[in-house]
Parts: sequence; C-alpha cells; structure tokens
Amino acid sequence: MNGGQHMGSAFVVTWLSASLALAGPVLLAALGETFAEQSGVLNVGIEGTMLLGALASFLASYYTGMIWISLLFGVLIGIAANLFLAWMYVTVRASQVVTGLVFNVFALGIASTVYRRALGNSAVPESIAMFHPLHIPVLSNFPLIGPALFGQTVLFYLTLLLAFVAHFILFRTNFGLALRASGENPAAADSAGISVYRMRYAGTLISGAAAGMAGGYLVLAQVGLFRESIVSGQGFIALGIVIFGRWNPLKSAIAALVFGACDALQLSLQIFGTSVPPQLLLALPYVVTILAISGLFGGKAVQPAALMSPYVKE
Amino acid sequence: MARIFERRLTPLDSPLDIFATTSAAFLAAMLVTAFLFLSYGASPFQAYYALFHEPFATLRGFGYSLVRASPLALIALGTIVSWRSGFSYLGFEGCFVTGATATSWLALLTLPGTRIGPLPFFVFLPLAILTALAAGGVWAALVGLIRVRFGGNEVLISLMSNYVAILILQYLVSGPMRAPGSLPETLLLPRATWLPFILPGTRAHAGILIALAAAGLVWMLLQKMPLGYELIVTGFNPSAARYAGIGVPGRLVLAAFFAGGLGGLAGMVEVLGSQHRLMDGISGGVGFVGIVVALLARLNPLAVIPTALLYGGMSVGADAMQRRASIPSSITFILQSLAVLFVLALDALRYYKFNPSSLWRRTPPSVADGVSK
Repeated sequence: MNGGQHMGSAFVVTWLSASLALAGPVLLAALGETFAEQSGVLNVGIEGTMLLGALASFLASYYTGMIWISLLFGVLIGIAANLFLAWMYVTVRASQVVTGLVFNVFALGIASTVYRRALGNSAVPESIAMFHPLHIPVLSNFPLIGPALFGQTVLFYLTLLLAFVAHFILFRTNFGLALRASGENPAAADSAGISVYRMRYAGTLISGAAAGMAGGYLVLAQVGLFRESIVSGQGFIALGIVIFGRWNPLKSAIAALVFGACDALQLSLQIFGTSVPPQLLLALPYVVTILAISGLFGGKAVQPAALMSPYVKE
Repeated sequence: MARIFERRLTPLDSPLDIFATTSAAFLAAMLVTAFLFLSYGASPFQAYYALFHEPFATLRGFGYSLVRASPLALIALGTIVSWRSGFSYLGFEGCFVTGATATSWLALLTLPGTRIGPLPFFVFLPLAILTALAAGGVWAALVGLIRVRFGGNEVLISLMSNYVAILILQYLVSGPMRAPGSLPETLLLPRATWLPFILPGTRAHAGILIALAAAGLVWMLLQKMPLGYELIVTGFNPSAARYAGIGVPGRLVLAAFFAGGLGGLAGMVEVLGSQHRLMDGISGGVGFVGIVVALLARLNPLAVIPTALLYGGMSVGADAMQRRASIPSSITFILQSLAVLFVLALDALRYYKFNPSSLWRRTPPSVADGVSK
C-alpha cells in the first residue's frame, strides 16, 4: 500500500516534469507564430525553420561548445530563412500554405545534406554541450510540483517570460496594435498610415526567430544531438496551439501545457510499464490537437480576419 | 519614370507561357543545385548525367522510375481534385498509409487457410481497388466533414491526421499484423495478389497503368462532367456556387473523398506492386512529394504523368548518384522543392512586365506616374 503510494507520486512527478519540458519548444514556436498570424500570415514554414534552427544550433555547439552562442545561431538562421518566406508571402504574394509546405521539404533537404556534409557519414552522433536543468534551492524540494516547476532548464523560464512579453507587445503597444490591424483589416490599417507590408514582414521574421530558437531549444535542452526526425511535426503542433490558444500568448501557454501533458503521458507510462501500446499513446497529442482546432469548441470568430489573404496595396 | 516591373493588364496565361515559366523555374533550380554539386567537388555535368542517365536511359532504371512515379502521380491527382475544389488537403501521407493498410489486410485474408482464401486476380483487384479507395476516401472525408460541419481549418487538421495514421500503422505492424521476425512488418503478401509486371527485365508493374487511367478519369471529371464543373466552381467562388444552387458542403466532402481515395490507391499500388508487404515507414514522405508534383504540374491532370515520371526518375537517379559519386540523395529534395519555389516566385513574371531599359534610361516623371502611384 505504502509502496503503491510512493509509486503514484513518483509517476506524477515524472509526468509533470516531462509535461513542462516538452511544452517548452512548441510554446516558443507558437508564440512567434502568433505574431505572424496576427499580422495576417499563416506561416506553415515554421516546421522547416525549426529543423534549420536545430541544425544550426547543433553545429554551432559542436564546433564552439558555447551554448548561448549556439542558441543565437538558431535564431539567426530562423530569421534568415524567414526573410525569404516573408518575401514570398508578402512581396510575391504566393499562396502561404503552398509556400510554407514546399519550404518544409526544402528545409529537410538542406538540413540532411548539410548535416552529412559537416559530419561525414560517421554513424555515431557526437554529443554536444547542453543546457542542464536548474535546481532552484528550497523550491525544487516542494513535494510533487516542486521538481516540475523549479527544476527545468533556463530556456523553459525564458520561454515563460517571453509569453508574458509577447502578450504585452501584442495587446499593450502601438506596434502590437498595428500588427493586429494588418491582420484584421489591412485596407483600414493602410489608410491609417500603417505599412501593412512592413508589419507582415515583422510578424513573419518574429515567427522565424522564435521557430529557429525553438529548434535550438530541442537540440540544446532536450535531445543533445541532431537527427532529421528531431522536429517531426512539432512545428505543425505549434500551429495547432496558436489556434487552440485563440491567438493569445497566455492562452497558448496553457494550450502548450495540455499538449505537453499528453505527450509526456506516453513517456511516463512507458517508464512505469503499462499494457497500452505506446504508438496509440504517441498519437494522443495529435488527436487532442485535431479536436482542439476542429472548431467543435468554437473559435472561428476570433481568427484574424485577413489570415492567409495576401494584401495588394491599391 | 518607367517602373522596372510594370503590371500587365492581362496575365500571360496561355499554355505555352505557363510551360515556359515552369521550365525556366526548373532550370533555375538546376542551376542553383549545380553550385551544391560543386561544393562536393563534383562536376555538375557529371552529377546531372548520373542523376538522369540511369532513370531515363537504361531499361532497368526506367522500370524503377515507373515504379516510383505511380504513387506520386496518384497522390498528385488527389491533390488536384481537392485543391481545385477549394479544399486544401495535405493529408496524403495518411491516406497512403490507410490505403496500403486496408489493401494489405485484404490481401492477407486471401492467404490459403484464412477466412476468404485464394481469389482469382480479376476478382481480387477490383476488390482491392474498392477497399483502398474507401479507406483513403473515408480517412480524408472525415477531415472534410470537420471542415463543413464545425469550420475547422483543414490545412492543420489534415497535417495532424498524417501522424495519427502513421502511428496507427506502426501499432498494427508491431502488434496485430506483425509477422514473426525482428522487423515491424507483415507477412509477404500472397503472390497471386501482386500487380503484374509489365516490362520484361524490369520491376515496372501495372500500377503505372492505374495511374494513367486515373489521370484520364480526373481530367474527364474536371473538364467534361457537370460534377467536376460544380467542384471547380465551389473551389473558385463558394458564394457564387451557393447562389447557383450547388450544395457546397456536400461537394467539399465529396472532393475530399475522391482525393483521399486517390491517395489510398497510391498506397495500394505501392504494396501490391512494389513492396509486397506492409511495413513501418512505408510512406516516407511520398504524400508531400506528390503534392509538390501536382504544383509543378500546375494542377493539370494531364501534366501530372510526365511530372511524376520526372520526379520519380530523379529519386531513382539520386540513389545511383549517391552510390557512384557519394553525393547525398537528399540533394534531390532541394532540387525538387526549389523548382516549385521558383515556379511560385516566377509566377510574378506572368503578371508583371520586366523593363530592363528603365535601369539606364531615366524619363522625367510625369503627372500620370504620380497619379497611378
């Protein structure tokens, strides 16, 4: 009986810690995507951007061993890649879904080619310098929630902070207002003197920076090595979280936690041994995301009205 | 002052213009990729020779090109049906997997001593086609239903549904459908259920004939049949379609069903023609490359077959290139996607006129220019 209780609390502790840890990168990507979508651009290319960011961070960490510089590399690559995407979305006015999707294939080709070029065909991946979990004294000894809340990596706390910063920028600054106006009614925003193009470039570049950083987060705080399947749909899940979070950074944080909890359930159940097939548990986060964005629970009304429609200045 | 790019009054949209811009985009992509080859110290000419010689100039290689082209063409046709009906479906990996799974399940039922037992091929094939169509079609139609019933965004839902289908497949081949052995895969399907080989001395199978027939049918549907016309109107202008009395929600679900059915058929062709068993990772991105093929074919069903052959052949050539020149085959992903990105970017040329002379001849600004700005 006593042993069972101990087992139960150990399960909750691992589950909670893993939930928060897994929520971090997708939340970061979702925060950036919120800026793109609020400006009227559905940036499907964040999946590929995350992969490129992950590769850049991995290579930088591999060669320099400096983790913050490596993270910066991820961000810079994300911005560079999304400069191209923004040009396609805003200036060329190509279909956003098509451009983003094809860009993801392109990014996969680039990432696997560059990775092989850099490391040769050595089968054993090298380990790299990584962020380690902090153990905030006193607080992390709290029962159950202590280790989960106060034993994450510094990137997790940074992401949480960024959620508040993003919320403030979007809803409390002139820049945020101009950005949202460009996504809601670009013609009106234009006549009010806002450069819709500039706002959409800004939104896309912010989403690129965040996605690149999220890729770095995956490599530097979770996996510790690079492989082509490292992102495997997490960029798409971030897109789902933006919808689930109703284009609001703070609600997105909660949505990311729900996703993280589903994802972590599989991990912790496997550690503690269950008869449920792991593949079906792995499918859970995707099913939850589908349900969350299906419209079953409303949400169409708060979508930026001009999302996915390119703007032509008259 | 004349602008460098001047908007055309009417876009260039004759088939020749479209073919010319598409070819220009593909050549531009080849040019960029040539620099990648140079970074490997390989001569671009030799690399391209390696890339195109085996799949298109050798009989054996051409057979493999046909094998790779068949599922690509079917998925591209599915993309065309759904996208031209205004349903931006991206879940072809999932349809491919469900179609392949359902077909394998049916084929394994015809093993001697099982429920159905051996069937003659002319009975089995129509059954398999119906099963694959239904499996992929229902899988995609579910997304269509969510869109028309609850207003969910089909782009993201279909992307997510891919992962669900792939994980279900992983579960099936590592559990209920697993053959004894170390790998997550089913038993070899009975020989009598395989698609016949059509070119002696190659692996080319009848799947390419199925793809050809499907291309003809999709062309007929979209160009010659009232239903296809309604689908296109639905995609082009849903409110006009509604005023014309077309049931838009029903048409969308139907388009999703057709598209998914074609994706399922692609899965069937792959298991019955090429793999002959169901295994984990059978899709391997073909659902996305198929969409890329449809885009390069400019959503034209008749252009799909040559484009699929080009892309299928390139993936065969890429393997040969990796073997011979040790250039990673992933470079073809770059070439293939870059071509479409350039198509999208060069589309601007069909809408804008390029005035190079404006770069060196400055005309004094006129009042009219100021107004038109």
